[in-house]
Order: sequence, then structure tokens, then C-alpha cells
Amino acid sequence: MSQRVYITGLGMISAIGNNVSESFLSLSQSKTGIGKINHLTTRYKDEFLAGEIKLSNADLADLVKDNNPALNRNSYIAMLAAKEAVINSGIDTNDGLRTGVISSTTVAGMGKTELYYKELFEKYDHLDVLDTHDCGDSTERIADYLGNVDYVTTISTACSSAANAIMLGCRMIKHGQLDRVVVGGVDALSKFTFNGFNTLMILDREWCKPFDENRKGLNLGEAAAFLVIEGENALNLRKGKALAEVVGYANANDAYHQTASSPEGYGATLAITEALAMSGLVPSQIDYINMHGTGTPNNDLSESMATKAVFGNQVPKFSSTKAFTGHTLAAAASIEAVISVLSLQNSMIFPNLNFTTPIADMNLIPETQLVNTPLNTILSNSFGFGGNCSSLIFKKA
Amino acid sequence: MTKAYINGTGCISPQNSIDSEWFFDTIHPAKGDYFDAIEPSYKEFIAPNLLRRMGRAIKMGVAAGNIAIQQADAKKVDAIITGTGLGCFEDSERFLLALLNNEEQFLTPTSFIQSTHNTVGSQIALLMKCHDYNFTYVHRGFSFESAIQDALMLFEEGKETILVGGIEEHTPNFVILNRRARKFQEVSSTTPIWESTTPGIQMSEGTACFILNKTKTDKSLASVDGIQTLYKPKTSADILNKLHSFLKLHNLTLADIDVTLMGFSGDVNFDSKLQELLPSIEKESIAACYKNVCGEYHTASAFAMWTATKIIEKQKLPQVLAISDKTPSKIKHVLIFNQYLGINYSFTLLSQC
Repeated sequence: MSQRVYITGLGMISAIGNNVSESFLSLSQSKTGIGKINHLTTRYKDEFLAGEIKLSNADLADLVKDNNPALNRNSYIAMLAAKEAVINSGIDTNDGLRTGVISSTTVAGMGKTELYYKELFEKYDHLDVLDTHDCGDSTERIADYLGNVDYVTTISTACSSAANAIMLGCRMIKHGQLDRVVVGGVDALSKFTFNGFNTLMILDREWCKPFDENRKGLNLGEAAAFLVIEGENALNLRKGKALAEVVGYANANDAYHQTASSPEGYGATLAITEALAMSGLVPSQIDYINMHGTGTPNNDLSESMATKAVFGNQVPKFSSTKAFTGHTLAAAASIEAVISVLSLQNSMIFPNLNFTTPIADMNLIPETQLVNTPLNTILSNSFGFGGNCSSLIFKKA
Repeated sequence: MTKAYINGTGCISPQNSIDSEWFFDTIHPAKGDYFDAIEPSYKEFIAPNLLRRMGRAIKMGVAAGNIAIQQADAKKVDAIITGTGLGCFEDSERFLLALLNNEEQFLTPTSFIQSTHNTVGSQIALLMKCHDYNFTYVHRGFSFESAIQDALMLFEEGKETILVGGIEEHTPNFVILNRRARKFQEVSSTTPIWESTTPGIQMSEGTACFILNKTKTDKSLASVDGIQTLYKPKTSADILNKLHSFLKLHNLTLADIDVTLMGFSGDVNFDSKLQELLPSIEKESIAACYKNVCGEYHTASAFAMWTATKIIEKQKLPQVLAISDKTPSKIKHVLIFNQYLGINYSFTLLSQC
């Protein structure tokens, strides 16, 4: 159980770029990817903003170099980000070591199902959406795209999904079941999720303002992000290079309400505390927190309470990067894991955009400008419907 | 790897499995080309105000979980892990149709809230006030297997009692659409499920929950010794090799396996590798099936685990499941050898304890 687990490859596609280097450029220039809706078909396209990937499905098919009509937007972006992570890491899935793919998604194939669902009852043209509707589809597409994958599974725990994929990957390496794992999450935008969040009345019609007193809700985004994680044995064997180490993780449940977080942030406090305990770090040793910070009144208050419960009056520098990407649901934790590794590598804290006024009585002020500072440890939080709370701790390699 | 002990089970299926006395004596046939689960009266398990809003998957999961908890007399659990291929499909479909029919207007959030795949696991956590580890696996024919695999790792990490469930529901529309896509066939009255020469399954649904314990107690019914998944194995010989190494890990050979429960689905395209392997299995073990009584769904292996537990407890292989002519003289080890769509294969080893 003592094997250490390292991050050795990064891949992401989201509103702020089609790959990691484009994303880094947007982040370091404080350039948001959230804007007017162009690709999603919805009657609300002129009323709300979203963090869309700036490519059509045809563009994505060209990048993936696969015109298989069964592929949907979720699979395209998952394949691209996973492949980028594998190329970045330099691993060779044909070398005989055991490789896994652990992905996560909430929307799965719904974006395509919703286009054809009603006509499925009358015509025979699109019945193949029945085969690509479920969450496992995009994961198996990634595995086949990478080739020689020994293990696949998929997690769906709402907006904490990818954090749990990263956690499971680490555990399977520590238990000696796999040598390395491609971990992450994917969620393309769909009318289904868009309308779902709209009925919950937690969408901001303007740019989201995480941790601001006047925050009104979240902006939805779409993304896929994957990381290659490797056990130290496999990494040493190929003399590979580590980008960061995963030193702590924890999963807890708020058990308060199906969609709302408890006002005191009980589940979040548990997840952060347990992740810290595992890492052997004390709160003062955390250099920066990449918050879940969705911009909803409920999440940001609850997360603020949890942060104060753990860190007291010595809260580390923190920001939410959701105002760059939008809330990318199942992909959020892996997007933020990639961003955290970029922070560690470049000694940069990316700003919490759109913040002006602190939440009353909280006295918590995020970083609002790009900060250049050496970083050794980062805590990243992800919380979701169903009370799922997960925290991860990354350390500079 | 640490083994786990099954201390309680709860199973809702197309058969009378909800009745703790039932052991494959009366069998309900498929409704032509599909099965529906026989659901209990939920009032015993769930408060009426909650019941009204819950989708079927949630009701089945909470009820089966409750039965397992009661049987195990578990005061608390340290983790809740669910596996489901399609999640709360009824609520997903309800929200989808409402938004399509009303052009994205006049929608209410309830069915959206309940459409997320982790709803069953989180509802159980809410009802039990369980703040511990909570995970939902959603990978096709590996959904339940991943949940068991996770539980076995958690026991090594120090957890003591874990609720694991495999949950699946279908809807009338989903049955209609899959029939249109020619995924089903009527049950054959002449050809047994393991000798099918035609494509098509009998789609089904069901839920089986288990209370697993790290240590053996007087409630322990059987042990789960290990589990392994195989993704897209190329040939049946590859599968057999993996099976031999899996058993070797547990210091066993196929000859030690008293009953092998095989996941024949009735679709010749998906079952072909199992058909090729049947003679090798029968040579050393006693082969049996289960999808002839539970039908096919993403988490049918959870029904198989419930069946294996019962077989060990009763020390008897029900005639309706038997493929081989031989009768086991004792039942110490049962192997579940599942397949889903000829893509997801798994081995699960259970033993008498």
C-alpha cells in the first residue's frame, strides 16, 4: 500500500482551449471562455451564457480522425483529452504494463439522445443512440482509441465525479491492481442538463461571480480532462518524469439534501479534513486552494463555512476557476486537477474572475489577479448532488 | 486480497426473490421478449411522503438495501457503493419528454434532481445519515463488479461494513425502443438459453443489495473471495487462461469449483465465447445459468451473486438453473462467470464460510 502515485500526463479541452497549452494561455491572460451560446440548440441561447468548446461536432470528428457516426460530442472530446494526456506522459500502452481507463460522466450520450428521442418511435434512422446513451460508452471509446487497455470503469457522482475517478485510480495503483491509469471526466453540454439547472434556478444570466456577495448562480460549461497517473514503480521502470504527486484524497457524504449542501458544510469539512490527514500535511502547509466555487449562493456559502472550519483564520490563498471554464459537471474536478498541476509547474495562481464584494460575515477574499508565487501543495475541492464531497491534494514533484 | 463476508442480502427481480423463503420453486416466465421485476409493497420500507416522489430504481434500491441491512442486523455502514448501467432512467425519460414536448418550458425540477445516476446511493445515505464513502459506478456490465471490487479494496483500507447494490430499472418506452432496434427475441420453448442460435435477449431489470463485512460473524452466509473484470478479450482461449490464473490466485483450479454460474443471455452473438467454453467448464465443474430466470440487464451479475449466496446457503443447485446433468455432492465454491454484450466479462468467486 506504500507505493506513491504521480501525475505524468495532462490533457484537456474546454471553453478556454482545445488543449493544455491553449488553456494555459487563457488562464495566464485571465481570459474567460464563457460567452454567447453558439453550438447548443436551445430556446434560451440568447438569454444565458455558457462555457462552450469552440468547435462543432464536425471539427471534432476531424481532430479525432474518425467519422464513425456512432460517436457523439461526449466521446469526441473525451478521446481528444485522453489522447493528449497519454502523449504528454510518454507512456506506451503496448509495453506489457497494466493500463486502466477510469472515466466519469453525468450527461453521457444524452446530448444526442435528446435530438432524436421522439423520432425513434416512428423512424428507424437513429436507433443507434440506444447503444451510446449510457455512461460507459465514452469510456470504452477512449479505451479503444488508446488501445491495449486492461481495465475500464466509469463513475457518476454528479459534480464530484472526476475527483472520484482520480481517487479510484490512485487506490487501484496502491493496491497493485494497475500500474498506471488514465483518469478524468467528461460532460458535453446538452439541453437536458441546461434545462435541469435552469429549473433549479441556479443559473446566472451574466458571468458567474464565485464567492461574491452578489453571486446569482453558475454558468454551465462543457469539457473533458484526463490525467495519466502512474505508480512510482512503473514510472521508475521507464525513467519517466513526474509532473506532480497525488498525496491526499477523501470522499465523504453530506447526507443533508439531494441537491443542496448543508449550511455548515459538514460533508465538505469531512472531505478536506480526511484528505489532509492522509497527506500528513497540517492546514498551514497548504499553499493554495482551488475551490469548487460554482457561484451558486448555496455552494459558495457552504464551502466558505467548511474552509473556515478547517483553516480557521489562516485560510490559504484561494480561487475558483469556474469563471474561466463554466461548471463542467463531471469533468470539473479533472479540469481543476489539470489547472492545479499547471499552477504547481508555473508557480502561478489563476484568478477568481468577476469578484468584487466578499460574502457578508465571511471575510474571505479570493485572489482576483494572477499571482506569481512558488507553490508546493494545492488542495482541490469538488462537491455534487447527492451530497458527494471529494477533496484531492497535489504536491509539486 | 482480503475476502468479504456476505451478512445480508435483499433482492428484487422478475422472480419472488423478495420472499426470503423462495428458492427457485415457482418460476415466472418472461413476458414474451422481456421481464418486469416483481416489486414489493414499499410501504414497509419507505415513508409515504418520500415514496410518492421516488422513481422505481430508488424505491427498489432503498427497499432491497433495507432488507439486506435487517438480515445482517447492521447498525451502521461505513460505505455505500452502488452500480447501475442506466441509473434512474424513468426520471431521466420523464424530464426529457417534458422538455421536448413543451419546448423547454414549464418544467419542474423533481425528475431532473432524481435523474442523476447517484440518486439511489445518496438517498440511502440520506435515510441512514451516512456521511461516509459514497460511490456510484455506471459502467455497463462492469457496474456491479466495480462496486464489489471497490468494497474489497476498502476492507483492506480498514472499513468494516459496506452496503453494495446493483440496481437497474427499465421503462415501457425503453422496452418498445429496444424492441424496434431488434435487440430482443421471444423466449424459445425448445432451445435452452445456452444453446441459442439466434440473436436477441430478454431485457430485464432488478436490484440486489448486500451487506458485506470484513470479519466473519454468525450472520455470515458466504464469502466473496475475489473478482476480476475482462474488457473485450479477443478469444475464448484468452478468457480461459485468465480464468485459470484468477483461480490460481485463490489456490484453486476449475475442478474445485462446484458450480459455475454462466451468464448466457440467449443472444448467440454475445454468448458465442461462453458457448465455446462450456465444454471446458463442464469437464471439470458443474455448469449452470441464471439469465433464463432473471433476464439480461447491466447488473444481472448482482442477481447472480444473490443466487450464488443462496446456493451455498441451501447447498443445492436448483434444477431450473442446471446446464450439466451432474448434481454437486457438496457446494464449497461457486464461480460467477458473467458476460454482457460479449464485451464485458467477469469472474466472481464465492465460497462457503
